[in-house]
This record gives sequence, structure tokens and C-alpha cells, in this order.
Amino acid sequence: MSPELISDLGLAPKPVKPAKPEKPAAPPPPAFKPSDGALQILGIMQRDSRIIDFLMEDISSYEDDQVGAAVRAMQTAARDALVRYVSLAPVIDGVEGTFTKPPSNDPSVVKYLGNVPAAGATGGTLRHRGWRAVSVSLPPLNPKQDMAVIAPAEIEVE
Amino acid sequence: MPHVIGIDLGTTNSAMAYVGLPADVTEAPSASMFAVPQLVNASEVAEETLLPSFLYVPGEKDFPEGATALPWNEHPDYVIGRLAQKRGNENTGRLVSSAKSWLSHSGVDRLSPILPWKAPEGVKKLSPVEASSQYLAHLREAWNNKMPNVPFVDQEILVTVPASFDAVARDLTQKAAEQAGYKNITLLEEPQAAFYAWIERHPDWRERVKLGDLILVVDIGGGTTDFTLIAVLERNGELVLERVAVGEHILLGGDNIDLALARTVGEKLAAKGTRIDGLQLQALWANCRTAKEKLLDPESKAKEVPVTILGKGTGLVGGTIKASLTRADLDQVLEGFFPAVASNDMPARARRVALQEIGLPYAADAAITRHLARFLSQQAAAVEHDTVRRGPSGLASPTHVLFNGGVLNATFVRERLLSVLNTWLNAEGFQAIQSLSGEDLMHAVARGAAYYGTARHGKGVRIRGGIPRTYYIGIETAMPAVPGMMAPLKALTVASFGMEEGTDLRIPDREFGLIVGEPAEFRFFCSAVRKNDTPGQMIEDFGEDLEELAPMEVQLTGSGGIVPVSFETVVTETGVLQLWCVAHDGRRWKLEFNVRERVAA
Repeated sequence: MSPELISDLGLAPKPVKPAKPEKPAAPPPPAFKPSDGALQILGIMQRDSRIIDFLMEDISSYEDDQVGAAVRAMQTAARDALVRYVSLAPVIDGVEGTFTKPPSNDPSVVKYLGNVPAAGATGGTLRHRGWRAVSVSLPPLNPKQDMAVIAPAEIEVE
Repeated sequence: MPHVIGIDLGTTNSAMAYVGLPADVTEAPSASMFAVPQLVNASEVAEETLLPSFLYVPGEKDFPEGATALPWNEHPDYVIGRLAQKRGNENTGRLVSSAKSWLSHSGVDRLSPILPWKAPEGVKKLSPVEASSQYLAHLREAWNNKMPNVPFVDQEILVTVPASFDAVARDLTQKAAEQAGYKNITLLEEPQAAFYAWIERHPDWRERVKLGDLILVVDIGGGTTDFTLIAVLERNGELVLERVAVGEHILLGGDNIDLALARTVGEKLAAKGTRIDGLQLQALWANCRTAKEKLLDPESKAKEVPVTILGKGTGLVGGTIKASLTRADLDQVLEGFFPAVASNDMPARARRVALQEIGLPYAADAAITRHLARFLSQQAAAVEHDTVRRGPSGLASPTHVLFNGGVLNATFVRERLLSVLNTWLNAEGFQAIQSLSGEDLMHAVARGAAYYGTARHGKGVRIRGGIPRTYYIGIETAMPAVPGMMAPLKALTVASFGMEEGTDLRIPDREFGLIVGEPAEFRFFCSAVRKNDTPGQMIEDFGEDLEELAPMEVQLTGSGGIVPVSFETVVTETGVLQLWCVAHDGRRWKLEFNVRERVAA
């Protein structure tokens, strides 16, 4: 029913009490997107080792020794940054190339290669020890920071 | 249960160590390093055992909002520590560095806001005292944050200063600590602290040194070099230690070496036509430090280490400048800093140029071995002390050497110094010097300071020392004025070398009439060389032996003409020298350093 019709029928709506102005609620805890953590680690790796610059650069035209010089400097910095925030350990602490029994049947922990029997294998030659992040200690995210900016632009004032 | 906290307020790095003081233990407990929470990146606080002594004055657009928050302060005015150092390299106009060297620089007004030295207009500036105070305040708040049940101000605090700091620099260090909210502080000399750290690690030290031994402490840090001699004596049948000589303040250290390496590499690049700019030189400087450490590693056989400067823009590989630091480059630079010289080979004196850029008074001669020769042959040899072993040429000849400071982590440098010292000792007819085994050279001063704090409670050995200089007040000679000639200046000895902490003395037979209600100013001098002048002694014709410090002034309150006063010297328990004017009726006024006046050179 339109307001005019209600009014014409004498059916005035009950006056609605104005809602009490609520106290301004405490700002909700900053909502972070699942991608923010990934962007954060990209930002850290770029800041400390410039790895995004390297990955995004077309290096096909450079001589090997030029690439080598840059990579040597970058790799050291990248490793330092990585181990600072992520503590890494092998999934299987064994010698690659030797016979090893798997610690688990979880396919995300051990992957079998080669002539794997239908019933599954109980051991084999360790080809890759795997990596496990034992602990991750990333600094808290700053809600005021645009996480999508992995590296700020730099402007030098002469 | 009180703690003793030792603070090494360094030129480039600061550190803090602490010892709990259990009431019933007779042996000194060992010191622990305090990991200092600090901003290491924007929005990232981490704990490191060293707090880089850098302060960055952030502009509004320097960091994202909230990125400089500390656990104890959401919006700090300044960024201190690792992040300050990193960001400051990118924007040097807002970076305060080497505040400690400015604190001891008598050519500037140390209480006025002058740092960052090359700040553009509009950047808030701090005084050297304020900057030092900020580092100390950071340490205090970090402590309170991590140890809320052990309030910092209730603990006993020891702050180290270079042995070569004069009375003014010590006074200003104390002021900085007070401004930072410190109470109960004691000043301690760094080389002594380093030696305490060695004692702390060697409870059997009495078997390692013997009566009559003379220990040379060589401390080469990032920005300064300091020498001290400690003698092993006997008192009441017990071995005691006495600090018998202290060198001059030399602004020369590891940073100079790294910069010299960076310049060497930079010149090689320039010869090939590649120019690098200021920011790239900064990167090269840091890379050369790492490369130097790799080359100096005794395990390393590498002839050269690459020092690559990565491209500035997104073209990382394309813009990369390849360079390398060779062993020959390093040897050549180290040869400049540690030449094998004779013990009578003195460092070049500072050139006197009429117009000089005001800045830190860096050492004119980079050869650390020459400075050491000067210390042993002139400063230390001037001690009228039968405990100092001397050779036929008069050279003070130490039996042991203790190394401290990051530069001496390098085996090559230690061996070069040992070989130079041994050549000198051999020429004097003495046996080779013994090296006291090295400690953790970056943290030893803070650890040793904490140990010393326990030593004062009777739980360890204490080095006797007293003040490391003789101090004088300038008195104008009363004589008829001669046109064009200044009235000759005489110097009245007011405190002698070695005057002990916690003692005072009245200068006999000298009275001065001071006018009430007006400031009276005194010229103030010191000498590290003249060690045998006794209080009250008047020195004429002192030539270059005396060094002028900031003047001292006193204003007598009250009314009524001229008050006859005499001088009284006090060395406080905390190691600070004070001069007082005392009237006949017992009224006393303290003379204050007037660091605002530029000292006439």
C-alpha cells in the first residue's frame, strides 16, 4: 500500500520509535585477506634480495658472467631473508641416493617415483629430501599498508 | 633482587648486559646480553644484541602510518637502531650518526641542536647530548618492556665511556643519561670494561698474570681507537690492577678501513669508465665490509671476492656493476692502517688550515700503529710510575695485550699488531708480548661493565684508576699591559692524574676574589702527558702539553661585593670531575662547563 492510500483509509502506520543512536563500535579487527601473507613474503624477499626484479627481468641478452655476478649477490641476500623468517628443514633427514624408509604414508609428505608397485612401496632410494617449514615468524601486518605494493617506486632527489 | 646493568654506548653500536645480584654468592655471577627490541624494518620489531647507534628523524612521508610503532610507544618521534641505519643510508639528511664523537668534539656547541649535521632546512635537529640520551632512553624502555617486574631505574647502571673522554665529555654523557631518566649511574672506561670481561671469563686470572706485568688494551671499534695500560700490582698481599695510562681520543676505526676499500674499488671502476654515485658508494661500502671479512677469514684462500653493485632500477642484471676486492687491494689498505713502523715513528700532526670545514676532527694520520707508537713512547712513558716496565729508550713495554673491538676480530690485524709490538719489544731487549685470549669482541665492553658493577659489591676484582688526566685552570699573569701582547697565561693544577673516585681535595694557598651576581669564567685545560703535576702547582710555559677544554663558569648568588673563594676538586663515585668554589663561611658553588661557548683554537 502506498502511503497516500494508507492515509486515505485512515490507517496511519504506528510511529516507529527512532532507534537509539548506538555508541560507535570499536573498529573491527583489521580484516586481512588470505593473499596478504603471500604478498608480505614477496615484499620481504624483494626488499632484502630484489628477487622480483630478477624474476621479471628479461635476461636473455646478457652474458653469463653478468648474470652470474648479479645472481651471486642476490642469492646470498635471498637466502638470508628466507631463513630469517622461515625456518626450513628437510622432510627426510637422510643422504640423497641411499635407501630410505618413508616416515609417513601421507602423499603430501612422501611422493614415490619410478616403478611403484600397485600396493604402494615401503622404501626406496631417497632422491630429494624435501623441505618443511618448521616455523614461520613473519612480522604482524600493518593494516595501514597496501599489501599489493610489493616494492614502492623510488624517486631520487638530486 | 637488584640487577647490575652494563651499557656500552658505542659510536656505531650500543649493547647492554646484565647480572643478577644474589645476596649470598661470593663469586661474581656471569653476565647475560640483553637482546634489544628495535625496528629492523618498517612495521617489524625484532630483538638484536646490538643496537646500532643511529637515529633517524622521520618525515611525514617516510614510513607508512604506524610502521614505526614500538611495543612501548605507538608514535615515537625518532627511529632508533637497525631501521634508522638502513633508512638513513637512503636519506642521509635525516640521519644522526656518530653522536658520541660529536659529544666529545669541543669545536661545536654540544648542547645546541646541530644534528643531523647536514640536515636540510625544516628537519628537526637534536643536540649531541639529546641524541645520546635517545639511545639510552631506548635501552631503558626496552628493558622495562621486557622485564616489567624489574624496573630499570631501581637497578644499578654502568655506562661506559672511552678512556680518552675528557671531563667535559664525561659530564655530558652523565647529562645524557639523566635526561634519559637514569638514576644510580656510574661511568666506567671502556678498555677497563673490556679487561673486566676477560677477568669474568677467566676466574683463574691470578694465575695468568703476575706481579709487575703490564697489560696493553687495544680497542679499535667502528669509529674510534683507544689505548690503555693496566699494571698488575700487589696490595696487602693480593694482586690488584691499576690503570696507569690512557691514550688520546683518536677518531679512526673500522669504518675508515671499509671506506678506504670502497674508494679503492671505486677508483678501479672509474679507471674502466664506470662512475658510481653516492648511494652506490654506500652499497659498495657495505659490500666491501663483507668482502673484507671473507678475505680475512683464515680459512679463505680466495684471491678476490666479488663486490657487486646491483642495478638500481628494475633492470637488476642489466644494471649490475661488477667489481671485485682483491687480496692485493686489501693488503694495500691494511698496510696504510697498520704499517710496520719503528717505535719512534710518530703520527703526522693535523694540518692547520686557516679555513676548515667544521665537522668531526678525524685523525690526520690513518696509521694506527703510529698512534700506538706515540702512546707507548710519549704518553705512557711520561708516567712517573715504577710499575711501568720501560726499555732503554724509555718506551713503555707491555708484557700482555688484550684486544677489543670489531676490527680486531680479524686474525690478520691481530697478528700484524703483535708482530709490530714484538719488533719494538725485541729492540728494547724484552721477550715477545703475550696475547690474552680473545673474547666476544663486540659485546665484551657491556659484559665487563656489568661484571664491574658486581665487583663494586665485593664480588670480584676492581681496577684502580682515578681520573685519566691532569686538569688545570688558567690564570692570567698580573703584569703591566704591553700593546699587541696577550697577558701570559699560567695554569694552576687543580686535579692530578690518578685522583681516585670518591675523593676530594682543597687547593692550598690560592684564593680568588669573585664578584657576586655576575658570571665568572675560567679557562680550563687538561693534559694526558703531564702526570706529575700536583694540585696547587702553577705551570708556566706549558707549550703544547696542555689542551684547552670548554671554559668553566660560576655565578655566585647573593649580594655584597667580592667574595674570596678557594677551589675544591671532587671526583665523584661515578667518576665525574667537579670543581667547587668555597668561601670562608663554608658556602659552596659548583663550576659548570660552559659548552655553549666556542673554544678558541
